[in-house]
Amino acid sequence: MRTTHTRGLMTVVAIGLTVLFLFLMGCPSETAEETEVRDTLTIAIGAEPESLDPVNMTSAPAATVGEHVIERLIYMEEDGSLVPMLAESWSANDDSTVWTFNIRQGVQFHDGEPLNAEAVAVNLRRFVDPEVGAAYAFLLGSVQEITAVSEYELELRLAQPFAPILSHLSHSFIGIVSPAQLEGLGPNDAIEIPVGTGPYVMDAWNRGESITMSVNADYYGNTPQIENLVFNFIPEASARIVALETGEADAIMAVPPQDASRLDSDPNIDVVYQTSVRTIYISFNNVREPFTDRRVRLAMNHAIDKQAIVDGLFGGNAFVADAPVVDAVFGHVSVGPYEYNPDLARELLAEAGFEDGLDITIHHPTGRYPLDATVAEAVQDMLADVGVNATLETREWSSYLSFTAQPPELAEYDTFLLGWGTVTLDSDYGLFALLHTQQWNPNGNNRGFYSNERVDELLSAARVETDPSAREVMYAEAIELIWDDAPWIFLYNEGQINAVRSNVGGLIHHPLENLSAWDAFFID
Amino acid sequence: MYQYIARRLLLTVPVVFGVAVIVFSIVRFLPGDPARAIAGVQATPEFIQQVRIRYALDEPLHVQFGLYLRGLARGDLGQSTFTRRPVTTEIAERFPRTLLLASISLAFATVLGVGAGIVSATRRNSLFDNASMFIALVGVAAPVFWLALMLQLLFAVQLRLLPATGMGSWRHLVLPAVTLGSASAALMARITRSSMLEVLRLDFITTARAKGLTERVVIYKHALKNALIPVVTVLGLQFGILLGGAVLTETVFAWPGVGRLLVDAILRRDYPVVQGTVMLLALLFVLINLVVDIVYAFLDPRIHYQGGSEE
Repeated sequence: MRTTHTRGLMTVVAIGLTVLFLFLMGCPSETAEETEVRDTLTIAIGAEPESLDPVNMTSAPAATVGEHVIERLIYMEEDGSLVPMLAESWSANDDSTVWTFNIRQGVQFHDGEPLNAEAVAVNLRRFVDPEVGAAYAFLLGSVQEITAVSEYELELRLAQPFAPILSHLSHSFIGIVSPAQLEGLGPNDAIEIPVGTGPYVMDAWNRGESITMSVNADYYGNTPQIENLVFNFIPEASARIVALETGEADAIMAVPPQDASRLDSDPNIDVVYQTSVRTIYISFNNVREPFTDRRVRLAMNHAIDKQAIVDGLFGGNAFVADAPVVDAVFGHVSVGPYEYNPDLARELLAEAGFEDGLDITIHHPTGRYPLDATVAEAVQDMLADVGVNATLETREWSSYLSFTAQPPELAEYDTFLLGWGTVTLDSDYGLFALLHTQQWNPNGNNRGFYSNERVDELLSAARVETDPSAREVMYAEAIELIWDDAPWIFLYNEGQINAVRSNVGGLIHHPLENLSAWDAFFID
Repeated sequence: MYQYIARRLLLTVPVVFGVAVIVFSIVRFLPGDPARAIAGVQATPEFIQQVRIRYALDEPLHVQFGLYLRGLARGDLGQSTFTRRPVTTEIAERFPRTLLLASISLAFATVLGVGAGIVSATRRNSLFDNASMFIALVGVAAPVFWLALMLQLLFAVQLRLLPATGMGSWRHLVLPAVTLGSASAALMARITRSSMLEVLRLDFITTARAKGLTERVVIYKHALKNALIPVVTVLGLQFGILLGGAVLTETVFAWPGVGRLLVDAILRRDYPVVQGTVMLLALLFVLINLVVDIVYAFLDPRIHYQGGSEE
């Protein structure tokens, strides 16, 4: 009796499994889909954009997705050169305080509204409105007045000359949306689906899942070849890789370095290495003993084997810093790196009176930057080798930010590890904000209290100098002086790794961590 | 019975208030300045100040708590500091997906777990029993993320039967539901089995068999109904755990539910979203517990809730 009923149950289970199996077999497999005409490109990114409203955007994923839909006045190419986008040309008055932009004619927003100077002005005014509180409003901090002087002429009046204004205007977040969309919007209201002028029209935002767009047939530039574009959000790196391997995604961003070589060995997948704009450093507290002694700072720069960190920890996907800003930044000159030379480091320390060693503390975040804590440990080891006993201290990120934001008389740190992304690709943002004396805590982000009169002069002058070649000369001198002063232990610049299926071409991998698909195509 | 339900509902009010206090405090008493964390490492001092004012972080704590409670009472959980959308909208978009995933997982776990438990109990010490109990042990012990990756590797990468991530068709649901439900299935199998074995040993089963009832009737009508009481408790609690515990599964499978919302919010220090999500999950847990207790009474008429007055 007992066996009969269990047999019945087993039969049910067996039937169930058979049905399930048939179901699965009946579903079209991925390979079957691939034989159809490919008109959709799928890109998997790790993080969902926080918002695609220009005033609320803060992240690289937002920039990557947004760029396809909304455009700005000026576009910055991968090499940092500025080319016309919605502004066809621009000029400045003699002292560079009044800038005139000629807005491209005959351009329509996706809702049919015409693009003109007033439309741009409305957008820019909203971007700098303190009530709205855009995180990146500082990009236009120098702008005093925004006026549409004629149908297609926009005028920006600055408080004082500010040379980086053009690269600031090229920032992905200063996107121009249809003025119809901004009408009646309160300072706290946000746009959900932006209506721009870009090569793609945004169709839907499936929160937590994907953003879909289709080609803008009326695009003023080259119409993209691929009809539909999908950005999928897959937070887990391993799941992103699986999606690429199965063909669910045609391209993925942010491949972990340890997986890159395995992916590269797959004949159907190409791995793309690109620099990023972020440099990682350990800053000294330059007003605190013994770091006021340049020999100590130099010694610690010579004590660190940067190449070993880059090769050993990052598998080559990082670049030894040769200046306080990365190569892609305007004004960058290569002045480093400091040679790895422990003997010289010991000598310098002995000269400074520390032949018996030195105790210091290194503060570092954990999990904020790739391998940050591991890098701090590596530095600790290398310093021990030259007689510097470093104690590592980590803090939770928000507490870390507060801790390193104290004014000099309250700052309780010897050294701290941080990163800085020069998102404008102009040295002004990379150097002025971090190393100018005016920017000491709590007035800005000079958390290490570096101060050099000549550097201050140069950085201030390069802000107002409008001749690019003259600016380059100034930055070259400033960078050399900064390097010589060694206010930081200069470490490395982060890299980014993307991976693309081999049958996709034309993707743009930008140093700003944007992946752009408007020139993409399928290779068959 | 209704009195009991009313009393239990009333009791949830202080519990919910307690949760609100704890959630509010955890977020506020973390070291560091939330305004700085929200504004980011590269923010200018002006922007940090703007953020402070925008989210009332410049107000004293009791004022902030007052604002928070006032919002709660009106069903306003504030605005996400990251997306700047209302927290209620963020949660409302994602909660149905978590509910779907948890329900399917629970259904899967119940069918598989209770089924395997019954068979194991009736065929005690058979090969099926030993094998299924061993698998159940592994199922309870296997870390969710490991199981998730293994399933992805097998079914998505190797066999290409199912999509690895995302949401869309029912096929997207299979792997996350199996991953999420497996631990519950294993637990339920073990509990059903032991509960069944216990009941099968009781006198009324012997009586039933002696009456000449078929084994099927004995097992399903007499034994199972009694054996299910502990299973229902576990089932209810598991549902709460599945809702809250979908965090890892949702992250690995890119399933856009509340769990992933919570993880993202924690990583971004999006305090209003963390508060809102934890609040919701705590509330659900309280409610599910209540429902379990009520279902209990239906399953077992011997249970009364009037302080034992009728006992």
